[in-house]
Amino acid sequence: MIFADFESFRASGATAKVCVIGSGPAGTTIARKLAAAGVPSVIFEAGGTEWSEDSQDFYRGKTVGDPYFDLDVTRLRFLGGCSNHWAGWCRVLDTHDFQPKAWVPDTGWPIGRADIEPYLEEVHDILELDAFRADVPISDDIRLVQLIKSPAVQFGEKFHDEIERSPLISLVLNTYVTELAGDGRRITGARIWSRDRDAGTFVADYYVPCTGGLENSRLLLWSNQQSNGAVVPNAAALGRYWMEHPQFLGGDAILSDYSIFPTDTTNEAFFSPSPAAMEARKIMNFGIRLIETPYGGVKQVIADLACVAPDFAEWAAYQLGQNLRCAAQLYVGWEQAPLASNFIRLSETDRDKVGVPRIELHWKKSDMERRTILEGLRLFGETLAARDIGRVRIADWLVNGEDYPTDQELAGHHHMGGTRMSDDPEKGVVDRNSKVHGVDNLFIGGSSVFATSGQCNPTTTITALACRLGEHLGGIAGA
Amino acid sequence: MARSAAVDLSRRRLIQALLATTAIPLLVSLPKDVDPNAIVEVGGWILKRGDLK
Repeated sequence: MIFADFESFRASGATAKVCVIGSGPAGTTIARKLAAAGVPSVIFEAGGTEWSEDSQDFYRGKTVGDPYFDLDVTRLRFLGGCSNHWAGWCRVLDTHDFQPKAWVPDTGWPIGRADIEPYLEEVHDILELDAFRADVPISDDIRLVQLIKSPAVQFGEKFHDEIERSPLISLVLNTYVTELAGDGRRITGARIWSRDRDAGTFVADYYVPCTGGLENSRLLLWSNQQSNGAVVPNAAALGRYWMEHPQFLGGDAILSDYSIFPTDTTNEAFFSPSPAAMEARKIMNFGIRLIETPYGGVKQVIADLACVAPDFAEWAAYQLGQNLRCAAQLYVGWEQAPLASNFIRLSETDRDKVGVPRIELHWKKSDMERRTILEGLRLFGETLAARDIGRVRIADWLVNGEDYPTDQELAGHHHMGGTRMSDDPEKGVVDRNSKVHGVDNLFIGGSSVFATSGQCNPTTTITALACRLGEHLGGIAGA
Repeated sequence: MARSAAVDLSRRRLIQALLATTAIPLLVSLPKDVDPNAIVEVGGWILKRGDLK
């Protein structure tokens, strides 16, 4: 069932045991799993069915530290959430991504890859993926890995009809949960704002914020502030350990044979380090995206020259009337070290029109990360050279220790952490079942629970975790 | 991608020559009995010493 607002939902007399907040990949997947277990749920979606300036305005905020995207642009506040601008790139966190890195504090999850593997077949159906190809080691240090470029499922569109027909899922649009109320052991209600007015409190047995890797922290920080800490009693890590996947053009490559690596339909191939290489260099995980430029013959020679002798190549390209780039570009994206000093807090001066403080995101890339990309490109270059399959040139800004470029993508729009998973309430907000420490009926879905981020796009892992949480909650709420 | 041997040959020689010119300072101080497969970093390039001969 789909309702246009909270008033029509309340008038319908529909009930729900579980209150899911947010209709993105995590929220939608959890509600579908609950329905499969026979548990009625309601999804409160703050926006409508389409993008609107008014709705996006609630997401405005401020970033302190490194340059970052505007917070009302990097996420979407309408049906389907951020799946509406998702590119569809899929890969699951690797086994080693869940394990601690002894050389980096606060890394590792309390669960392992094996805990989400039982859900991957289901994830493949949801995201419409083919089977993943096994990684291919090209040296002891570097592996050719696969990112599947999926059809980029938009959850609001794909599951609209299913939800509309479902007697067990109520999707309520234009309904903003502004705060949760709690008594220190349980959540007692969700404060609702719908159609520009206070719509009272909604009560359910369980509550599951799935509002994204920025907004989950905002909701809980504000709820905790309003309730004197009775919503998240163990709040040491709340809002902290926030992470992104920064990415920059880190160099170029010349390959001896441009057919040596299987590239996808956009001439791209992806590479990552082995766990042993990360340990040996004491670095985080990273991903190198090699983009081949599909030239042939003389154009290929000049494109190669563009790497080595750009002035000469420019002249030669001019003679040919061509605008040629270096033959293969190397973009590097990487895993950030989880740092308590990267955090979300509530603005003391700026609020949305309902009165909820906006986000102030404090975010800065660390020296460890700078070393990760430099050593990562060296590992890749050493592998290509040792096997005589190519040569790598690391970009000047990296070699010379200059600032990060400001004219590039910056990061992946991957918002992770803030309510991270840990067995230790001092280091995390949720336990291994995604339940908030010390609160019996509050669970969290989405990438805010990521303890460490790996190097790959998060949506596949988010969906797998949501399947796991949905099944777990279905077992509890259905009992 | 199909390529002619002639294009590959000339391309490889051209690239090798250009790589070597970027590393002239290193060549001057290069010991004669170094391992040609040793990896060196010159001006951001990750090369084999053999590239510089």
